[in-house]
Amino acid sequence: MTSPQRSPFELEVAKLIVEALKLKADPSSIEPEAALFGEGLGLDSIDALELSLAIAQTYGYLLKSSDPEIKSTFSSLRALARAIELHRTK
Amino acid sequence: MVDAPLIGSYRPDDVLAWDSDGPRSASEFLSEAINLAGVLPDRPSVLNLLTSRYEFLVGFAAAMLRRQVTLLPQSRAPETLRRIAVDQESCYCLTDRGEPVHDIPAVVLPAERGSSRGSWKIPHIPLQQHVAIAFTSGSTGQPTPNLKTWDALVSVARATARRLDLKAARVQGVVATVPHQHMFGLEASVMLPMQQGLTMHAGRPLFPEDIRAALAKSPERSLLVTTPLHLRACLLAGVRLPPVGMILSATSALTPDLAREAEQRFHAPVHEIFGFAEAGSVASRRTVADGDWRMLDGVALSRNGSRDSVQAAYLPCPVPIPDRISVTGRATFRVLGRVEDQVNIAGHRASLGDLTRQLLEVEGVHDGVFILPDGKEGSLSRLMALVVAPGKTQEDIQHALRRRLNPVFLPRPLLLVPRLPRNETGKLPREALRHLVERWKNESSHDL
Repeated sequence: MTSPQRSPFELEVAKLIVEALKLKADPSSIEPEAALFGEGLGLDSIDALELSLAIAQTYGYLLKSSDPEIKSTFSSLRALARAIELHRTK
Repeated sequence: MVDAPLIGSYRPDDVLAWDSDGPRSASEFLSEAINLAGVLPDRPSVLNLLTSRYEFLVGFAAAMLRRQVTLLPQSRAPETLRRIAVDQESCYCLTDRGEPVHDIPAVVLPAERGSSRGSWKIPHIPLQQHVAIAFTSGSTGQPTPNLKTWDALVSVARATARRLDLKAARVQGVVATVPHQHMFGLEASVMLPMQQGLTMHAGRPLFPEDIRAALAKSPERSLLVTTPLHLRACLLAGVRLPPVGMILSATSALTPDLAREAEQRFHAPVHEIFGFAEAGSVASRRTVADGDWRMLDGVALSRNGSRDSVQAAYLPCPVPIPDRISVTGRATFRVLGRVEDQVNIAGHRASLGDLTRQLLEVEGVHDGVFILPDGKEGSLSRLMALVVAPGKTQEDIQHALRRRLNPVFLPRPLLLVPRLPRNETGKLPREALRHLVERWKNESSHDL
C-alpha cells in the first residue's frame, strides 16, 4: 500500500459502497488501494451494477463499460473516488 | 422431421450479428463456423468460455458440426471448471483470453478470420444429436449434467418466438444482458435469434448506458433479453433507451410495479420466461396482465409422485419444477415459493445442502451451514453462512469458497461462531438458527 490514509472523499465513497451493497463492513476498513472485485472485497458484476446506480443517483455520473478507463475505475476505492471526482455532475 | 437447419431463414448478406468489429453477415458466420469445425481437436466435448456472444455462437455451431457437445458451466470458479474437467475427462476449451483452465487443452479464438466464402448451404443438425450439457449444482457436490438435444433447443426457440409473436412486433434484433453460457441466455439470446433469422448483438451490456449503446447499434425495435436487476437499474438511472420492440425478462420474478413502470417508460410490452436449467424455458407471462404462467406450446404439467413436473416430447422424462407451484388451469400455474433447500440468487439456482457440503470441504472448517435470510421484497437477497473454524479468519474461508463457488453464492456475511445450535440428533432446527441470526443482528445492529 503506497498510502493507507483515506481522504475524506474516499471515506465518503467507501460509505456509499458499504451502503449500496449492504456489506457488513466498516467503511474505514476498506483499503484504498486494495482490489474491490475478485479477491479484495470480492464484489461481482451484480455489485458493479448496484454500485453504478448508487453513483449515478448520488453524483450524477453514469458509468459505461465502453469507457477506456473503466477497468481501472473499478480497480480500487482510490481509483473509483478519483473517477467520481472527475466525472461528477452533482 | 429428423433434423433442423443450423440457422433460420437468413439470406447470405443478412446481418446475423453485430460484434465489436462491426456487422457479421450470415454467410461470414457460416464460413467461420465451417472453417473452425475443420480445425477443432478430435474430442467429444468442449467447454465454450468465449466472452463474445458471436464468437460463442461460432464455437457452438462448429462443435455441433463436429458432433461435439458444448459444456455450459455454472460459473468460471476454478474448482467448478476443475470438477467438470475431471468428469468430462477428454474435453477441451474454447477461450479468448488465453488463460489456462486447469490443464484443459485450449483453443484460443478468434483465430485468423478465414477469407474463404464457401458455398451458401445451411447445414442441418440431427434433432436427436446431443449438443449441450447445462450443469446444475447437484446434491452430491459433483455438478449434475443436464443433456440437451438439438430438438430441445430448437423446439424451445420456436415455441418462444410463437408465444411472443416476434413477427407481429416486427422484432429484428436481440440485445441481451444475460450470459450466453446460462441456459436462459443460450435459449433467448443465442438460439432464438439464430433460429428466427434475427440480428444478435455480441456484447453483454451491464450498465444502463451500455444497454442504451447496444440498442442504438442494433436494428430498431430489438428484443431486450434481460433480468429484473438490469431493468430496475435502467429505470432508476433514468436512461433513455432507443425504441425497443419488446422486453423479455427472466432469472427471478418481476414485480408487477416494476413491469408496469418499464412498459410505460420504454413503450414496449414486458414478458417473462419461467424456466430452469434441467428443462429450459417452459412457460411465459406478460407480467402486467397475467399473474399466472402459461406453458409454452408443447410443454405440459404433470404430477410425478409428490412433485409437480413438466414434460415435453423433447425431454427424456418428466422434470420436477424446482419451485412450489399451484396449478390453476390445464396449462397455467402460479408460483408459490421455493422448494425447501433450493435458492435462486440473481438467476443462479443452487441447493443450500450442496453449498453447505462445499463449505464443509474447506480446510479448517469444523462445522458450518448456508442459510437464506428472509429477504425484503424487490431487493436482492444474499446468502449467509455460519461457520465454526477455530484459528481461521473470515478471509481464509471466503478465499477458499471463491475457488469453489459462483461468486453470487459467496456468503454475506460469513459469521464465525464457536458452535452451531445442533440438537441431540445433530440436526439444525430452523428456529435455533433464526434465533442465532437475530442475536447477531441485535448485537451488531445490522439490518439484513
